[in-house]
Amino acid sequence: MARSTKLKILWLQSITCNGNTHSFFSHPNFMTLMQKFEVIYHPILDSKYSLDNVINKKLTCDILVLEGAFRETGMQKADREIYEIAKSYAKKAKHVITVGNCSTFGGVFRLYDPEYIGGFCFNDETPNEAYKLFKRKLISLPGCPAHPRWIGNLLSMILSQRQILLDNFHRPIEVYGYSAHAGCPRNEYFEWKVDSKNYGHKEGCLFYEYGCQAPYTHANCNKILWNEVSSKTRVGTPCFGCTEPYFPKKDLWHTNTLMGIPATMPMGVPRRAYLTITGIAKSFSIKRLNEPIIKYKK
Amino acid sequence: MLQSLSRRCAMKAETKRSKKKESIIKAALTLFSLNGFHKTTIPDIARRIGMSTGNIYNYFASKDILAQEIIKYTSEVLGTEIRKINQQKTLSTHEKIHKIVEVYFTMATKKPEMIEYFLRVYLSHREVFVGECDKMICVAGFITEIMIFFADGVECGDLRDQDFFSAFGLFMGYLGGMAFLNGEAILPRALEDYIDDIAYNIYNALKT
Amino acid sequence: MKVKYLIEKIEGEAELEFDFKNGLVDNVNIYFPFYRGIEEILKNRDAMDALVITPRVCGICNHAHLIASVRAIENGLNKAGINIDLTQKAISLREFTLSCEIVQSHFKWFYLVALPQLLNLDRMKCPDNYILKASWASTNIVKALAIFSGQWPHASYAVPGGVSCDPTYEDIIQAESLVDEVIRFVENELIGMNIDEYHKRKEISNIKGDMAIMFGMLDKHNMKIKGKSYDRFAVFGEHPIFQTGQYNKKYSNDIDFSHIEEHPQHNSKAKSVTYKDMCYEVGPLARAIMTKNDFMLNLHDKYKDSVLTRVYARLDETIKLLVHIKSLLANLNVKELSCTLANMPKALEADGVGMVEAARGSLIHQSIIKDGKIQKYNIITPTQWNLSSGTQKEAGIAAQAIKGSVSIEEATFIFRTFDVCSVCTTH
Repeated sequence: MARSTKLKILWLQSITCNGNTHSFFSHPNFMTLMQKFEVIYHPILDSKYSLDNVINKKLTCDILVLEGAFRETGMQKADREIYEIAKSYAKKAKHVITVGNCSTFGGVFRLYDPEYIGGFCFNDETPNEAYKLFKRKLISLPGCPAHPRWIGNLLSMILSQRQILLDNFHRPIEVYGYSAHAGCPRNEYFEWKVDSKNYGHKEGCLFYEYGCQAPYTHANCNKILWNEVSSKTRVGTPCFGCTEPYFPKKDLWHTNTLMGIPATMPMGVPRRAYLTITGIAKSFSIKRLNEPIIKYKK
Repeated sequence: MLQSLSRRCAMKAETKRSKKKESIIKAALTLFSLNGFHKTTIPDIARRIGMSTGNIYNYFASKDILAQEIIKYTSEVLGTEIRKINQQKTLSTHEKIHKIVEVYFTMATKKPEMIEYFLRVYLSHREVFVGECDKMICVAGFITEIMIFFADGVECGDLRDQDFFSAFGLFMGYLGGMAFLNGEAILPRALEDYIDDIAYNIYNALKT
Repeated sequence: MKVKYLIEKIEGEAELEFDFKNGLVDNVNIYFPFYRGIEEILKNRDAMDALVITPRVCGICNHAHLIASVRAIENGLNKAGINIDLTQKAISLREFTLSCEIVQSHFKWFYLVALPQLLNLDRMKCPDNYILKASWASTNIVKALAIFSGQWPHASYAVPGGVSCDPTYEDIIQAESLVDEVIRFVENELIGMNIDEYHKRKEISNIKGDMAIMFGMLDKHNMKIKGKSYDRFAVFGEHPIFQTGQYNKKYSNDIDFSHIEEHPQHNSKAKSVTYKDMCYEVGPLARAIMTKNDFMLNLHDKYKDSVLTRVYARLDETIKLLVHIKSLLANLNVKELSCTLANMPKALEADGVGMVEAARGSLIHQSIIKDGKIQKYNIITPTQWNLSSGTQKEAGIAAQAIKGSVSIEEATFIFRTFDVCSVCTTH
């Protein structure tokens, strides 16, 4: 079904590091995708409007993309509060997309002043005033940054008018229904409880000693991979839970334990079940999993 | 109709089999308690419950395997009681400790052969429990419930966070020691008279 | 006459206040309006949290922040008596990923900032394929980066003692082919000649490709005489390919963190920074000068620290880095350990400084740790050096460079040649 006019997209930034913009720019089809829209404003792409126009003129957009954390007052661009600008565009837009953990939940920058800084519709996991106004059009793409495919695919789905199923935080379930743990090459070490004892090895699970949050983080990073080739756990870095409302938690490289037992269980797994399986797994020693995968000759 | 009938038959057969297994285990526990682990033989157990020796071997391939199954069984029995306590969300941590001590001491009093088996056979004959029962896998049912109790206690702020084994050693070592003394007829009073004091001591040692 | 101007697309925005006298820019005040408080956010956090939080200062140079952060922790550990011995493998991997990020940033600068802005000076529209080129080239070089770092942006694969990754030769070969593709792009599109020919160039006009368009336009707009500042340069970060030290009429390989001072600025959330009370330029030009490469020194002799020299240094550095990272990969030995520090000491007390050369210049992190927690964290970014409003004695580097501009358009173009990063400046 051809569109006679292109949908207008406005990418507005608040308290941000620009990470989501640069992440999306690494999408292999960035140009082709963006050319399907009329760009009202974007941090990198040129458009016929300057930021001053966006802020001081009464423009409209169909898709409002918000990047960065918000505060009601105290964050101005061109002498106007960006929060007010965001709300006024959100009222007229058909879709409001919060890209990145900051605009969704508040993220890293909320920590500076949690009483006044938060996401556009959520402060951590609590819906705020703006949520009531925009919940019907809100789609959340948290992540720090959001993966380029999450952003690109969502825009494509809007263009092709496909149904987008959302969870209770308005995150697309096709992405956030997975756990970051699915597809991790260290899965066998997780299953048999062969825990990593040092950094820098391809073997070993990072869940118990290194704070890996993948088993309870909603994301599909290990399924679709970052930059088409990689992921944190593939290179021995634990998942830091960046798609979740509480990101970044304290002591990111440590696993919270309660008397030695991991405080947070894999998604949907009852503690009793996890402990039973773990107890059994720990009592067996699988030779292959306790040896290096590759033994180079000197 | 025929399918559900055959399924019911299969379930009945299964229940019959597990009931038989349980009666063998109970008989074995009694005999181990009366005469000791090494002096009790499979024929002894068979005679006690009126089964043939050959039939016993249909259920347990060897005495060592029977020994392993017994520890899993006793662990499940104790674990089930502790699970019931863990699942009572309205109990305070102190109350839960009290109930766990109560369960343990009641078992030590009413079914002494179970606790005795643990102390005198399991802990003292580790060579019997190698292979399938290596590490703590056979007592998993019980250990898991204690882990859950500890985790819940730390999560709600009642118990101090510490290494699992430090806390476990304190709790179980204490209870096992009291059961042992009771078994040796050294304690002047009945074991149940000690529940309050011991629960109080454990709670105070582990609380934040 | 004072004119206000909101400059955008500089990794954020800045407010410029120009002072015109007799139709020329006499002075410019640069205000960065927003402060995010990363340094405060880090207070009382576990020392290692800095490796995750500091990259969030910036979406385009997050990897440089990671390396500066880990160097700060390692420097602190060394000073506290815990010897950190990085293997050559860890050193090379960190160099590789850091260099890839610099190259990515320069590609974006050429195609998304420099060329469009120059065309804009002549009221010409920018061809669509510039964005495609920037997108392709930067996407592929960061792919090579991500093979080792896990992702870009925002990786945390550099840990005290080395790196967390354990690559195979297969990973290295994959990275090598990506680098080869990017080099081919540079040869076909960016400079229109192969690298060997490039090294034999005698003059800027020998360069072809898209850069020929850029240099042609720079020439047309007299950029070889515009944009000069104090001709003072500093390089703080240690890398095998760069030389640390400073240049102020003469060379010195001595450079000391203790002579750096930060000052709050009136009305701006960015702090200014000086070395021995003077403003110094950091960035590709500073690195080129300190490395004393012949072609650059020649150019510098003729055109000093003009826009032309500054821009050329950025191109030259891009090519130098691409050649360098190929050799890093070729010499990697996967059998070496990735990380030589088993565990961070408990109750750590450390006071360390980590200095790194990022795309825009020297980036410095200082991490003071007590009892394993961050007591104080300080970040000094390259744009702070180049874009502060100056001291009582002199205007800032970029402000000085803009003096004498005939229009706001020209002034803002010169401003952009410093490759400004607004988010970094106000962390």
